[in-house]
Amino acid sequence: MKRRLRIPELGGARAVILHRPHANVTALVRQLQAVGLEFECHWPDLPATIGAADYLFIDVDTAHEDQFPWNPGEAPFPTIALIGSEAPGRIEWLMNFGVDAQILKPVGDNGVFSALLIARAAFDARISQAGEIDTLRRRLGQRQTVVQAVAILAARGKSEDQAFEQLRGLAMAWRVSFEEAADRIVASVRDTCKGEDHV
Amino acid sequence: MTRHIDLGVLFSTTGPYSLMGQASRLGVTKAIQQINADPSINLMFHPIERDPGGDIDAYAPQCEDILKSSAARHVIGCTTSWSRKEVIPSLERLGGALWYPTPYEGFEASDRVVYAHACPNQHLLPLLDHCFTTYGKRIYLTGSNYIWGWEMNRIARETGAKIDADVLGERYVPIGSVDIARLIDEIAAVKPDFVLNQLIGPSQYAFLDAMTALRASDPTFAQGRCPVLSCNMTEAELDAIGASAEGVISAGPWFCGQSPALPGNEGRNDFGSSFEAAAHASVMMLARLLSTSPDAEDLSLRQLLALPDAARIGISPRTHHVSLPVAIAQVRDGAFVPIKTYAPIAGDPYLTQGPALLEPMLRIVP
Repeated sequence: MKRRLRIPELGGARAVILHRPHANVTALVRQLQAVGLEFECHWPDLPATIGAADYLFIDVDTAHEDQFPWNPGEAPFPTIALIGSEAPGRIEWLMNFGVDAQILKPVGDNGVFSALLIARAAFDARISQAGEIDTLRRRLGQRQTVVQAVAILAARGKSEDQAFEQLRGLAMAWRVSFEEAADRIVASVRDTCKGEDHV
Repeated sequence: MTRHIDLGVLFSTTGPYSLMGQASRLGVTKAIQQINADPSINLMFHPIERDPGGDIDAYAPQCEDILKSSAARHVIGCTTSWSRKEVIPSLERLGGALWYPTPYEGFEASDRVVYAHACPNQHLLPLLDHCFTTYGKRIYLTGSNYIWGWEMNRIARETGAKIDADVLGERYVPIGSVDIARLIDEIAAVKPDFVLNQLIGPSQYAFLDAMTALRASDPTFAQGRCPVLSCNMTEAELDAIGASAEGVISAGPWFCGQSPALPGNEGRNDFGSSFEAAAHASVMMLARLLSTSPDAEDLSLRQLLALPDAARIGISPRTHHVSLPVAIAQVRDGAFVPIKTYAPIAGDPYLTQGPALLEPMLRIVP
């Protein structure tokens, strides 16, 4: 499927650069300003206000996980790697840490604008995929419940297919997901059983 | 003591887009003559000229040749974005700077380049604004198959989406191809309110001829309806296009007869097109910056543009783009007639600064 790139609002967006003062930072800042972003440089600690950043640039040559108050792969904004050394160990660290785009050092005359676009698109995709995976995982976990619900309905003299259709009908009538409907049926039977146990 | 300064000139005055190259070169020549004849400016420019002949692979070697074989550090040149991108690595390696005086599609701000003609917020966006208001929101997009057409049409699509415009079609033609029958058939079928045309050279000429034939045969397309738009058509090509140019609406910083021309022209307006005017302005602006201090020719472009004079003459040290007036003009009886003119606005190459407030230009002398 062809993806239409959504151009993010970059004018006035806030970029944080975690890198010691260096010519690469000067070149990076020049490009950020030309595009129209606000920027701030920090080293070695991120500022307390990092949560308000729109983009983060990190120096893969010197970065380590203790610098970041989040788990690897869970950066809360688009993150762009500045890569100098291509030693496999550093690339391994980068892969584990997880970034959304990269720029090779030395930073030259261009490359920042496309990195910003790619990072934003990759970040948005990462967030939406995480949500989707979460939903699918939850539904997968409810497979057993669905089987139980169909078995309960089938026990009342229906075929499996009919029971399945009935469950679908109930989900639609209750305006809940298939899995949620199954959960209600199983729960209601469980409650009934509990009630009987007390008798 | 008068300083003698070599100045690179790199335009294709032969080859497929020689009309534009010649217009730009003429602007450079006029400015060099003007500077060299002006006793109040203590410098003399010596042009170091090369003609890549429209061959894309000749640009970088010829640019390097200028920078290596002379003392030139500034080059006025390039007509296409493709050639500009080809020479930037040479400029970086050899410490040169390019003054690029033709319209382009934006999304660049090289530390080595001054962008002296219009970018989309100075041509395309005001043109679309005018045409959406005047003709309607059902549009057709076409262009030659390369970055200029692709990017300009992408911006048009995005701009149109914000006001619920309908893009009825989008079709590209290989550079140099005059096979545009399918394009015309499609336009005749979907009947758009206007056509955004980013075709170049022979493709554009063939397209305009075919549109003229369509207008004669189909009353839906009678003259005055479904205009064809352009963001780079100037007087430089009018003679070559001939009568088929009639009715085309173009946007640019200046059209013949307008006064004043560009801020960098310093009051002069005896130019044949905005290509010529922007090339003239480039040399004049460079001369002004170099004359501010005796060793200014040793400064990098970044240092030169950091001088207070740069912002004063309208070059942004942040984006290297030049503030330019905006004119929307229509070809009537073989000449561009301005429909709307606006005071200079800053170039916004990445379109990140929000919609520009266009102030009407007050001084128009017909």
